[in-house]
Amino acid sequence: MLAVSQLGSWLPIALLFLVAAGLALALASVSALVGPRRARGVHDESFECGSEAIGSARERFGVKFYVVALLFIVFDVEGVFLYPWAVLFRELAWPGLAAMGFFVATLAIGLVYVWKKGALDWEH
Amino acid sequence: MPVSLADILALLPEILLSLGALLLMMTEVFLAGARRGYQALLAALFTAAAFAAFLAQRGGGPRVLFGGFAVSDGFALFAGATICAGLLVTVVLGAGFLAPRSAERGEFYALALLAAAGMCLLVRAEDLLFVFIALELMSVPTYALVAYLRTGDRPSEAAFKYFLLGAFSSALFLYGAALVFGATGRTSLSGIAAAGGGKLLLAGLALVIAGLSFKIAAVPFHMWAPDVYEGASTPVTAFMAVGVKAASFAVLTRILVTAFGAPALAAVWQPLVVALALLTMVFGNLLALTQRNVKRMLAYSSVAHAGYLLVAVAAASRGFSGPSARGEAVSSLLFYLAAYTLTTAGAFGALAALERMGPDPQPWDLDRFAGLAKRRPWAAAATAMLMLSLAGIPPTVGFIGKLLVFKAAVDAGLVPLAIAGVLASVVGLYYYLRVVVVMYMQPAPLGSVPTPASWPLDLVLVATATLVLLFGLAPAGLANAALSSTGLLGG
Repeated sequence: MLAVSQLGSWLPIALLFLVAAGLALALASVSALVGPRRARGVHDESFECGSEAIGSARERFGVKFYVVALLFIVFDVEGVFLYPWAVLFRELAWPGLAAMGFFVATLAIGLVYVWKKGALDWEH
Repeated sequence: MPVSLADILALLPEILLSLGALLLMMTEVFLAGARRGYQALLAALFTAAAFAAFLAQRGGGPRVLFGGFAVSDGFALFAGATICAGLLVTVVLGAGFLAPRSAERGEFYALALLAAAGMCLLVRAEDLLFVFIALELMSVPTYALVAYLRTGDRPSEAAFKYFLLGAFSSALFLYGAALVFGATGRTSLSGIAAAGGGKLLLAGLALVIAGLSFKIAAVPFHMWAPDVYEGASTPVTAFMAVGVKAASFAVLTRILVTAFGAPALAAVWQPLVVALALLTMVFGNLLALTQRNVKRMLAYSSVAHAGYLLVAVAAASRGFSGPSARGEAVSSLLFYLAAYTLTTAGAFGALAALERMGPDPQPWDLDRFAGLAKRRPWAAAATAMLMLSLAGIPPTVGFIGKLLVFKAAVDAGLVPLAIAGVLASVVGLYYYLRVVVVMYMQPAPLGSVPTPASWPLDLVLVATATLVLLFGLAPAGLANAALSSTGLLGG
């Protein structure tokens, strides 16, 4: 059983929930009240990202999505590596900076490669 | 984890290979013209530099790197130099094979160099986590290389099969490593040896052996090898047969001898390895017998050679043999790896030299070798020398390799296994010598168009055949180098 005095320390969290819920409600109602209504055609669909939201899963789709997904993973993983290094930046000091510099430089060379190869060019 | 500059310098060969790969990728996007011959030269230079770095590091005692993740010992240096030699042959093969097919790109060399960097890290790994990362660094570029020459659906099929089974074997290895960690609480090989453990450790050991058996293509984990070796373009096949096998054998030996070298554990894995060796030698040779397709024949031959190498691994178990017998076994393994690398890379070079350009329903049929002795006597003589070495006939390096391996097995008390190995290699004589017979005694079929000669491929053939003969006649240098490289740290 929690003492009442301990409950007080949860107040900021409760406030956060209230603000989050209030903000979501407020924004949704403002959008419903003032926003223009064009509920027709593609606007009825949940997203406009190239493939049908509802339908058979065995559909052909552009291989470009695959390349983008792959590149996304590469740079996402880079972020995963950078984060703990940033937290321990002072402890790792110069060797850490050198190692990270080498890692990021290698990735940068990879980025230059995919850029020059045209993998980032959506139109081609 | 203290990292000193000396640790980083010890990785100089791998650093050279990685830098070479990055540079080659940049030449591909910034300097890509019609002429790409310089890329092969660049790749060959970086490979030769890595080879020289491995040789230069010999002589110093064994050292632990990066707080116990990797080591620099004689075993790693010898295996690394062998891998770089195989890579050098692959690069020259690639130049001679891809350029006439207008498929020479920097990516080919970059991927090969990256995979080789993974292999070189693998042979010096001293920690199961490091082993896994190096294993993936070796495998992922190799999957891509298999699909490199995308003519027809064969390469895609081969790459997909190799990827699925490679991922499966990596998963097996990882599961085994997790069980070993669960049993001992350690991931470093010397730590596992010190901790010991019960049944859980044995389950982990079995899974680790199974995972690596896929990589070395030991029977019954060999099913993928013929299809993948046949589907990949010939230089890539040479690279897989040589580099992947050498690196996987080195790491298998290091794990078994260092982490599981205690007599009680060696008594468990030695019979396993003996059984694998027996199955691999017998079935590898028998399956190769029926092949008319020389590329498939060489694939099964590389399975059979994995069997002979496993004999050396079995002989290296410490439980039944003294430390000196173990040193002899490890040195015979290293010598055989070097001999096998030279011979097999050269044999695939012979195949690449005879392959036609356009679509061809049976590009690797035995008939392709018919009449070669009349047409190109030097290429035929070199191919004959390589086939003799694969069969293990004196005066070639293949003979010395088999001699050392079987002698090590006898000294370790594995006499029946050695006898089985000799009998299996007698079976092998038939299909290796058949190629020689066809080259020298059958006329070329009527209306056949000979493949034009390409000098890099001829260079590979002549260089490997000469070295095979040279090391066969004067094996002392290589054998002594192997014997002085058996110092496994902690083993």
